[in-house]
Amino acid sequence: MIDFSRVQKELQDCEKDKDASGIRVSPKSDNLTRLTGTIPGPIGTPYEGGTFQIDITIPEGYPFEPPKMQFSTKVWHPNISSQSGAICLDVLKDQWSPALTLKTALVSIQALLSTPEPKDPQDAVVAEQYIKNYQVFVSTARYWTETFAKNSSLEEKVKRLVEMGFGDAQVRSAIESSGGDENLALEKLCSG
Amino acid sequence: MSDRILCKFFLHGSCLKGENCEYSHDSKNPPNNVCTFYQKGICLYGSRCRYEHVRTCQPQSLSASNVPRPTLCSDSQPQSLTPSMNRRPKAGFAGDNDDGDKSPNNVVHYIHPREYPICSFAAAGDCPRGNQCPHMHGDICTTCGKKCLHPFRPEEREEHTKECEKKQKHIEALKKSQEIECSVCLDRILSKATPGERKFGLLTECDHPFCIQCIRNWRSSSPVSGMDVNSTLRACPICRKLSYFVVPSVVWYSTPEEKEEIIDTYKAKLRSIDCKHFNFGNGNCPFGGSCFYKHAYSDGRLEEVVLRHLGSQEGETLIADTIRLSEFLGGLQI
Repeated sequence: MIDFSRVQKELQDCEKDKDASGIRVSPKSDNLTRLTGTIPGPIGTPYEGGTFQIDITIPEGYPFEPPKMQFSTKVWHPNISSQSGAICLDVLKDQWSPALTLKTALVSIQALLSTPEPKDPQDAVVAEQYIKNYQVFVSTARYWTETFAKNSSLEEKVKRLVEMGFGDAQVRSAIESSGGDENLALEKLCSG
Repeated sequence: MSDRILCKFFLHGSCLKGENCEYSHDSKNPPNNVCTFYQKGICLYGSRCRYEHVRTCQPQSLSASNVPRPTLCSDSQPQSLTPSMNRRPKAGFAGDNDDGDKSPNNVVHYIHPREYPICSFAAAGDCPRGNQCPHMHGDICTTCGKKCLHPFRPEEREEHTKECEKKQKHIEALKKSQEIECSVCLDRILSKATPGERKFGLLTECDHPFCIQCIRNWRSSSPVSGMDVNSTLRACPICRKLSYFVVPSVVWYSTPEEKEEIIDTYKAKLRSIDCKHFNFGNGNCPFGGSCFYKHAYSDGRLEEVVLRHLGSQEGETLIADTIRLSEFLGGLQI
């Protein structure tokens, strides 16, 4: 049985200092089991300036079980899968405590972005690059941030895709169905 | 024997003492329906009390309070008693004992003021008669503000003051506890829906507040693979300090001494309950000597804990569990 009153309180709490922390949590559906978290990329890292979206699923046993979190924005980071967005973070697994909240978990993820742990990788390719060729890693991570995590306005995205020769209505529905991801929308448009 | 007081258990048909009962089993005898609290001066029920608020010694005849009143104690009198006099069986009963050494005609006595009861209305908070009250008003208790301290009964005063301070402390602790939130459900613990939920779960090693249900839920949740139970489930969810047990309490504490007291009271209470695992010696308690519950055999004898110490190869001393011969033989390779 999910403690919805607690989730509700957490959302209110998050809403209160969203300007100070930059962290937002908003429900995806009415029943509060699926939420979206947003964290700003930490300053002084290749992720600076990006806004990262995280899919949150509240499990049955919450808050006695950790919430399931996964990046929906693509990220180049040794502890985050570049394919699925899966996060390797102890507090989301065996170090979870019921005193932690969605907000503190998102803060931990933000901290993970600034302190990668390549020795305990989630994405082996990224981790190898991080260890062997740090400069290339930094530029790749920055490029991914620029491409996937920088929010250009909807109109800009529409404009760019329309310029490629797609219809306006078609572009808008593709962007909407891909959750605002321009590249995903382009893929959809191309595949018909 | 005829002026003995009617046994109230007998009246309901449930006296277990039968013939040996010190009270009368003859329904003709008057029952003792006098409120004993009223006699002491304080009956909290006031006019709602189901016992009779009459004085066994009337204020106007105070001279006889310690000495039997001849009209009441003589055996030939009960039949002629008026109903209102019937309500004073206590005086008659007490008189029974004194009859031998005191002359019934000796009525002029100095009565120590400690024998006067204080006004129960004033003691309960308010006496409508104020200064006109024929009864003595007690001194004001500084803690509860009621006139309930008997000026001439120091033990009673002390007892009341102690009791009152304890109550006051409890009320203050409760007030302070109102604001405290559980860090797991984020609710105010004392504002939860059902009374059963309005309890704190104290951890012995740290001072973080949780409601009993949340902390028990967390501690009993099944560990995920790779989880170290001692550093997660048994630890405080906030500071991760390891506590081996949780103490339920209806109030939160503000000093370490108060916490100590809550824990000690809890342990003492558990120690009075028989352990269901030990089962009066028939079972086997997995907690052994560290069990909080009572390990007593059916004859009341307490279990004596004998710990067997083993020296390990590294020179450490270990406490041996029960070892069965079958386990040893089962491990042998023949």
